[in-house]
Amino acid sequence: MNRLLTLSRWIDQINIGIGRLAGWLVLVMMGVGCWNVIGRYVGQAVGRNLSSNALIETQWYLFSVVFLLGAAYTLGVNGHVRVDVFQSRWRGRRKALANLVGTLLFLLPFSGLMLFFSWKWVVASWRIWETSPDPGGLPRYPIKSLILVSFVTLLLQGISEAIKNLAVLTGDRPAEPALSDRSNPTEGEP
Amino acid sequence: MDWLGPSMFAGALVLLSLGYPVAFSLGGVAIVFGLIGVALNVFDPVLMTAMPQRIFGIMNNFTLLAIPYFIFMGAMLQKSGIAENLLETMGQVFGRVRGGLAIAVITVGALLAATTGVVAATVVTMGLISLPTMLRYGYNKDLSAGVIAASGTLGQIIPPSIVLVVLADQLGISVGDLFIGSIIPGLLMAGAFITHVVVIAMIRPDLVPPLPDELLAVKGLALLTKIVRVMIPPLLLILLVLGSIFFGVATPTEAGALGAAGATILALCNRQLSWSTLGEVCDRTLRTTSMVMFILIGSTAFSLVFRGLRGDQFIFNTLTQVPGGKAGFLLVSMLTIFVLGFFISFFEIAFIVVPLFAPIAEQLYGFGGLVWYGVIIGANMQTSFLTPPFGFALFYLRGVAPPEVTTGNIYRGVVPFILLQLVILLLIILFPALVNYLPSISN
Repeated sequence: MNRLLTLSRWIDQINIGIGRLAGWLVLVMMGVGCWNVIGRYVGQAVGRNLSSNALIETQWYLFSVVFLLGAAYTLGVNGHVRVDVFQSRWRGRRKALANLVGTLLFLLPFSGLMLFFSWKWVVASWRIWETSPDPGGLPRYPIKSLILVSFVTLLLQGISEAIKNLAVLTGDRPAEPALSDRSNPTEGEP
Repeated sequence: MDWLGPSMFAGALVLLSLGYPVAFSLGGVAIVFGLIGVALNVFDPVLMTAMPQRIFGIMNNFTLLAIPYFIFMGAMLQKSGIAENLLETMGQVFGRVRGGLAIAVITVGALLAATTGVVAATVVTMGLISLPTMLRYGYNKDLSAGVIAASGTLGQIIPPSIVLVVLADQLGISVGDLFIGSIIPGLLMAGAFITHVVVIAMIRPDLVPPLPDELLAVKGLALLTKIVRVMIPPLLLILLVLGSIFFGVATPTEAGALGAAGATILALCNRQLSWSTLGEVCDRTLRTTSMVMFILIGSTAFSLVFRGLRGDQFIFNTLTQVPGGKAGFLLVSMLTIFVLGFFISFFEIAFIVVPLFAPIAEQLYGFGGLVWYGVIIGANMQTSFLTPPFGFALFYLRGVAPPEVTTGNIYRGVVPFILLQLVILLLIILFPALVNYLPSISN
């Protein structure tokens, strides 16, 4: 069990690192977004195109990087919204069991099958060195590959969460403190 | 095999209550029912190969790109303390009169929520900052709890909320139109809440005492400077964002990018921006964006299987057979959303349920009626989130309220506000011009 927990910690560290990195890209995305608006207007005034298809595409590429790479990290810090009408009343082992079942029944099969259904599509993009249909646009194959990366990180994080929940059930890890998630102010929920 | 589609819907609701993150539960339910469909020979797994293309479509959707910007803008206003200062200053301005503090809370709630559109964040912030103050100066517990929960939910419908961005995307209408169309209804709601407090101040003045004089130390010129420095800039920022959309200067996504930068500059000018704050804001934006986008990805898988099992056909046939035509459909669809709002959050409703209703709504009310329909959905869900015993806003407030405020206080407190919201909802339904007038002059 201890070796598994070490593996879990490794996975957590990797995904936290990726998440931190992707977090700062939010700032870059804001910068590019502003440049594209301002560039359009200033460009019209000075009669030169200051923005470009590449920059416009960079904006949604960054957006994609942020949420595709952020998903596993968000899972690790329990940032994905839950319907916890019941779970908010559950404690410790029962909660761990519910999460373990959820990981095994939902997350791992879903991520696995998404990889299965996506990889050919990504390979097809690499094979033709696919680029944007717009002039001056960016290559498509890297950003498409990111879908695979995203589900791989999710798969790994799912394994890490499963290990942690299993450890709670076997008593190798203390149960989480009795905290109702629903009243947890830090997590985003509409 | 017609029953498989509807049972998938019911199955999803049951499995979601296990409490596993919604995004992956939806994806998992899709896999489970897809496999059942394959086993029964009614589902072709080749349909699932459309998934990467669908995800790619989500990635380059220009409308959804507005989401991180507005989250960033709201998170920046909150984490940098600009929102807190705004609430404090408002309290000092309005605190002199009976009920003033409550009016300040409603006003700030409407503004704050407008930029975040995330009920949890607003209810929690206001609950933490204003509830203790209101109680300390003798405000009635029921009323204080009601005011805070109600102001926190206002953000659903006041632009530029991400709720409206998502709704517009799912209904296939312009975000700008939905933003503009919801301005009057949003103001009506805020106005009704304020009126309610004013009326209480007249008939039960003991429930809403004015603040004691010694607390209102800042007076005259000093207060005026504070108003100019603390209140005007964030108000101006929100007005600029909305104005640029209204006058067609910028798309909502562009306005969001500028608004996010504007909020950052504001925090910088107030010397309230540190690297750690900036990091926190980025982190919050990343988490909320990932959460929303992955619910969308999970819902996409769900919808793909649901359609493969002909569940959408079943829903369409059932709903078009609802008696009463336009009014009957409105009643059924709104009741469904209202009840679902108790159990699942806004995004699941928007991504799964709204697309099922949208084609019928378009058929019945015409494309022009979709903005009106969208505003009704927003106002309806806002009421749902406030309604005991399951309303989301109530849970959040419960989580941060001091122990002397009981769940009973919160439940009793929100009742008048629910009634007010229902009245406004009815007005919007009866007088579509309340929604449609502004978009018509904007275009």
